[in-house]
Amino acid sequence: MLWSVPLLPLLAALVIHGVGKRWPGDDRGRAVLTLAGVAITVATLLLVSIAVTADWSGTYRWSSRVVLSLGMTSASAVFAIVVPLIAAPIIVYSAYHEASPVSGRETVRPPVGLVALLTAFVGAMELLVLAEDFVTLLIAWELVGACSWALIAHEWQKAGNLRDATWAFLVTRFGDLGLYIAAAAAFAGTGSFAFADLAQLDGWRLDVFVAGVVLAAAAKSAQVPFSPWLFAAMSGPTPVSALLHAATMVAAGIYLVVRLHAELSAVAWFAPVAITLGLTTALAGGLVACLQGHAKKLLAASTSAQYGLMWLAAGAGFPSVALVHFVTHAFTKAALFLAAGIAERHVDSYSLTAMRLGRLLPGVAAASMVASLALAGVVPLSAAWSKEKIVTAAGHQASWLAVIVAVAAGLSALYATRFQLLAFGRGRHDRMSEAVSRPGHSWAEAVALYLLAAGTLALSLLWWPGVGNGLADWLSVHFPGTRPWELILSLLLVALGMGLGAWAVRREVTGARRPGATRTGVADWLGLPMLAARGAEAMLMFSHGLARFDDRAVDAGIRGSARFGAWLARLGERRGEGAFDGATNQLAKGIDWAGQVARRAHTGQMHHYYTGIAAGLAAILIILSIGALL
Amino acid sequence: MILTAALGLPMLGALALAVSSRWTETAARRCAIAVSVLPVLLLIWAWRQFDPQGALFQFVEEVPWVPSLGMGYRLGVDGIALAVATMSALVFSASIAYPVDTKHQPRQYYAWMLFLQSVSLGVFLALDLLLFYVFFDLSLVGMFFLIGRWGHGQAQLAAFKFFLYTFCGSLLLLLAIIGLYLSVEPHTFDMRVLIEQQPLAGAGMTAALVFLALMLGFAIKTPMVPVHTWLPQAHVDAPGPVSAILAGVLLKMGTYGIIRIPFAMMAETFSRHALVIALFAVASILYGAFVALGQRNLKRRIAYTSINHMGYTVLGIAVAGALIQDTGYARELALVGATVEMVAHGLITGALFLICGSFWQRTEEYDLDSYGGLLRQAPWLTAFAVLASFASLGLPGLAGFVAEFHIFAGTFGVYPWLAVIGVLGILVTAALFLQMLQKVFFGAMPERWAQFEDLRPIEWGVLAVLSAGFVIIGVAPAFLLTLVEASATLLVGGR
Repeated sequence: MLWSVPLLPLLAALVIHGVGKRWPGDDRGRAVLTLAGVAITVATLLLVSIAVTADWSGTYRWSSRVVLSLGMTSASAVFAIVVPLIAAPIIVYSAYHEASPVSGRETVRPPVGLVALLTAFVGAMELLVLAEDFVTLLIAWELVGACSWALIAHEWQKAGNLRDATWAFLVTRFGDLGLYIAAAAAFAGTGSFAFADLAQLDGWRLDVFVAGVVLAAAAKSAQVPFSPWLFAAMSGPTPVSALLHAATMVAAGIYLVVRLHAELSAVAWFAPVAITLGLTTALAGGLVACLQGHAKKLLAASTSAQYGLMWLAAGAGFPSVALVHFVTHAFTKAALFLAAGIAERHVDSYSLTAMRLGRLLPGVAAASMVASLALAGVVPLSAAWSKEKIVTAAGHQASWLAVIVAVAAGLSALYATRFQLLAFGRGRHDRMSEAVSRPGHSWAEAVALYLLAAGTLALSLLWWPGVGNGLADWLSVHFPGTRPWELILSLLLVALGMGLGAWAVRREVTGARRPGATRTGVADWLGLPMLAARGAEAMLMFSHGLARFDDRAVDAGIRGSARFGAWLARLGERRGEGAFDGATNQLAKGIDWAGQVARRAHTGQMHHYYTGIAAGLAAILIILSIGALL
Repeated sequence: MILTAALGLPMLGALALAVSSRWTETAARRCAIAVSVLPVLLLIWAWRQFDPQGALFQFVEEVPWVPSLGMGYRLGVDGIALAVATMSALVFSASIAYPVDTKHQPRQYYAWMLFLQSVSLGVFLALDLLLFYVFFDLSLVGMFFLIGRWGHGQAQLAAFKFFLYTFCGSLLLLLAIIGLYLSVEPHTFDMRVLIEQQPLAGAGMTAALVFLALMLGFAIKTPMVPVHTWLPQAHVDAPGPVSAILAGVLLKMGTYGIIRIPFAMMAETFSRHALVIALFAVASILYGAFVALGQRNLKRRIAYTSINHMGYTVLGIAVAGALIQDTGYARELALVGATVEMVAHGLITGALFLICGSFWQRTEEYDLDSYGGLLRQAPWLTAFAVLASFASLGLPGLAGFVAEFHIFAGTFGVYPWLAVIGVLGILVTAALFLQMLQKVFFGAMPERWAQFEDLRPIEWGVLAVLSAGFVIIGVAPAFLLTLVEASATLLVGGR
C-alpha cells in the first residue's frame, strides 16, 4: 500500500503531461493546471498521513536476492509530509510564474511540462524517503537527479542551460557513485540490500560503506567541494530552485545522513568528518552569500551553508536537530526563492543592486521579511529555534565548536539582512514609475509566497514552552538542552551580523564602485567552479586525445597487418610468381632435353638395340650381385 | 520443435525471397516483417513454458548427423540463452520493420536480413559446438553483404575489415573447438557432455592454449579493448537497422560464447585467469567510455559506448567465474547482471542505432556539431533519443540500471577495488550522452534543419516497442531475473 505514495505523483505526472497539451492556452488552462497540481500534492499528503497512522509498508520482489521495500520511520514521515506541503504552493506559483517554452511564439501557454516534472519530482522524493533498502534508495536517488536535470534544462533553447543542467547532473552523479559502492559493500557484508541488515556490517566493508554514503550525501546536499553545482542549478526556473533547495534534491543528502545515522556513527571517523564538512561549508557558504550580488545565487550559497549546519548537528550526534532545521529551513528558503522570483519579474534581472522594491511591493516585502528574519535566526522565529539547538548540539562536543557555529550563524544573519534590504528595502522604485512596463506578478504567485511565510510563522510555535518536548516525544528523540551563555552569545552574534549586513547594504547602495576581482572570485564559490571547469576541460581534452590515439595507434596495428598482407601479395605477384613459373619452365626444359636424349636412342639399327639390351642386362646383373653380396 | 521452428522459419522466408524475382518492395517488406515476428512469438511461448526449477538445458532437440564424429543437430536453451535469443529475435523484427533505403534491391535486403536472423538465433540455440561454429561463421557472411551492399561511405572497405578481423577470431575459435573435441572421450561436440565432464581441467599447457584461443576469438567478437577497432568503422558505414543488429545481436555472440564455452566448459582454467579478464573488462569500460566522449560523430560515439557496455558484461562474467570461497551470492549476482546487460544493451543500443538510421535517412549527416535544437522540429524523435540515452547511461527505472547495479554489486563481493574503478565508467557515460543530447536536440537550431521531419508512424511504433522493452525490464524485471537466475545458480554451482 505504501507504494501508492510515490506512485500517485509519478503516474499523475505522466497523465498531466499527456493530457495537459489539450488544455486551453489561456488563464483557464492555468487554473486547471494549478488545480490538478494542487490536487495531486494534497492527495499525496493525505496518503502520507494515512500511511503514518496506519503504519503502511510495502515490498516488491525483483528476484530472490533483490527485494524492494518501503517503510515508515519518524525521519521518513517528517520528510514525506514536508515534501508535498512545500511542493503545493510552489506548483501554484510555477503555473502562473512560468510559461511553456516549446510553443512560446504566439501565445504564452501554461507550463504543463514543468508542473508535470515538479509532480514527478515529488514522487521520486517520496520514494527516496520511504526506501527501506539500497536498491530502492538508489533508484529514487538517481531519479531525483534526472528530474533536476530536466527541470534545470526546462528552457532548452538556451544551450547554456543544458550545459548547467549537465554539470549539476554530473557532479551529483559523481556522488551517486558513492551510493553504488555503499550498496555493494552492504551486500557483500550482509548478503542483502536491506537497511535492516546493516547492523551485521563490520570491518573494512563498514568503512567503505560509510565513505560511500558520506560522498553521496555530501554531493547531493551541496557540501564543500561539491557546493558549486547549486550555482549551476540556478539556470533553472525559480520555482524549481525553490523546490530543489527546500524539499527535494538537496534535502535528499541530509535525509540519508539522518536516516542512516546509527550505522554511520558506527565508525569513529564519521563524527569528525561530518562536523568538519558541515562547518567548512557553513562558513564558506556564509562568506560567499555575504558577497554574492545575484539574488538566487546568494540564496543558493545560503542553502549550502544551512545544510552544512545540519551536517554538523548530525555529526555532533543529534540527527533529530538536523531534521527540525530541515523543516524550518524548507519553509523559509522556499519563501525567499519565490520572493526573489517575484522581484525578478519587476526588474527583469536577478542583480540585487537593481531591486530594492520595498515601496513597490509592500506585501511581498513583508512576507519575505518574515522568512529573512527566520533565516537570520531572530527569536522567536522558527529557524532560530532549530539553529539554537544546533549551537547547543555543537556545544555538547566542545565549547569552542559552539562558538564557531554561532559565528557561522552570525554570517547567516548578515546575508539574510543583506538580501532583505537589497531586494525589498525602501529604494528608488515606486508604484508609478516601474509597474507599468514590467510583467510584474500575479496574485497566485503572491498567495504561494504568503502560504510559505505563514508556514514559517506557524513553525515559530516551537518556541512555545512544551512544543519542543512534544515534538521530541512524537519523534521519540531528545533535543539537547540549551545553555544560557550559548544562547546569549549566538543572539549577540545574530545582532552583530544584522548590523553588519545593514552597514554593508548602505555601502553597496551609496558607493557606485564595482566589486573588485577578489570579491567576485570569492562570491563565485571561492573559485571552485573555475577549478572544476578546468578539470572538465582537461577531461575532454584527454578523451579527444584518446580518441585520436585509438584511431591512429590502436587501429594502426590492424592497418599495418593489412598492409603487410598486401605487400606479401605484391611480392608474390612480382617475384614469387616469376620464380615458380621459372621453375616450372626449367623443369619442362629439362624433360624436353631428356626426351631429346631418349629419342636419339631410337636409331632403327639392330646392333644399337642389342648393345642397349646387353648394357641393360649387365646393369641388372650388377645390381643383383650387389644385392646378393650385401 | 519450438527452437527448430524459431530458427527455421526465417530461413524459409529468406529462401522464399531469394528464389523468386517477382517480389515487389511492399510485398517483400511485409513478408519479411511477418516472418521475423514468428520467432519472437515462439520464443516468448518457450519462455512461458520454461521451468526455472528444471534442468539447465530445456527444449532439447537432438538428431544424429555424423555419429562417427560425434556431430549432431542439437538445440536447447538455458535461461541465459533464452533471454538473449528472445531479445535478438525482437531486435531483428524491429530492424527489419524499420524503414531504410534498400537501394532498389528490397528482395535481397530482406532475404539477407532473414537469413541473418536465422543463423543468429542458431548461435544462441545450438547445443553442439560445431553447429555453434557454423552459425557463428554464417552470421559473418550475412553481415558482410548487408554492410557492403546497403552501407554508405566506405561501405565495401568497412565490410571487408569487419569480415577479415572477425573471421580471424573465428578461426582461433575453430582451433579451440577442435582442441576441446579431442580432449573428451569419446570425441563429441555435445555441449552438455563437455560442460559436465570439464575435459581440460588440470590439463596445463593444452588447457591454457585452448582457453587463450577461445578468449581471443570471443574478445574480437565482443569486442574488447584492444581488439575493437573493426567496430566503429563497420557501424558508421552500415545502414541504421544493420548497425542495430550488429550491436544488438552480433556483439552478444562474443559474450554469450564466453559464458557457454570457456566459462562453463573450462571452469577451472577460467577461474585461474578471471582476474586478468576482469582487468581487460575494466579497461574496456573506461577506455570505451572516454573514447566515446572524444567522438564528434554521432554514430561513432554510440558505437564506442557498445565497447563500454560489453565491458560491463565481460566484467560480470569474469567475476562470476572467479571461484573464490564464500562469494557464491556475489558471483551469481554478477552473472545475472551480465546477462541482463546483454538483453538491455541489445534493446537500448538497438534503439539508439535505429535513431541514427532516422538521422541518416533525413540528413546524411552524423556530425554532432552541425545539429542543435531539434526538439522544436522533432519532439518524438527527441523523446525517444532522451529515453534511450538515459537508459544507456544507467538511469534507474530503465533496463541498464538493473544490469549495471547487479554487476557492480557482484563485482564488489569478489574484486572490491575493480568495482570502485569500474563504477567511474557510468559517470563518463553520463557525460557523453548528456553532451550528445545537448548538442543535437537542445539549444538554437541551425537554419538548414528547418525542414527536419519528426518520426513517421512506423518508426514511432518500432522505437516504442523497443523502449517498452527496456522500460519494463527497468521497472518490473522479475520475469527476466527469475529466468536468468535459475541458470546462473546452476552455472556458478549454487544448486
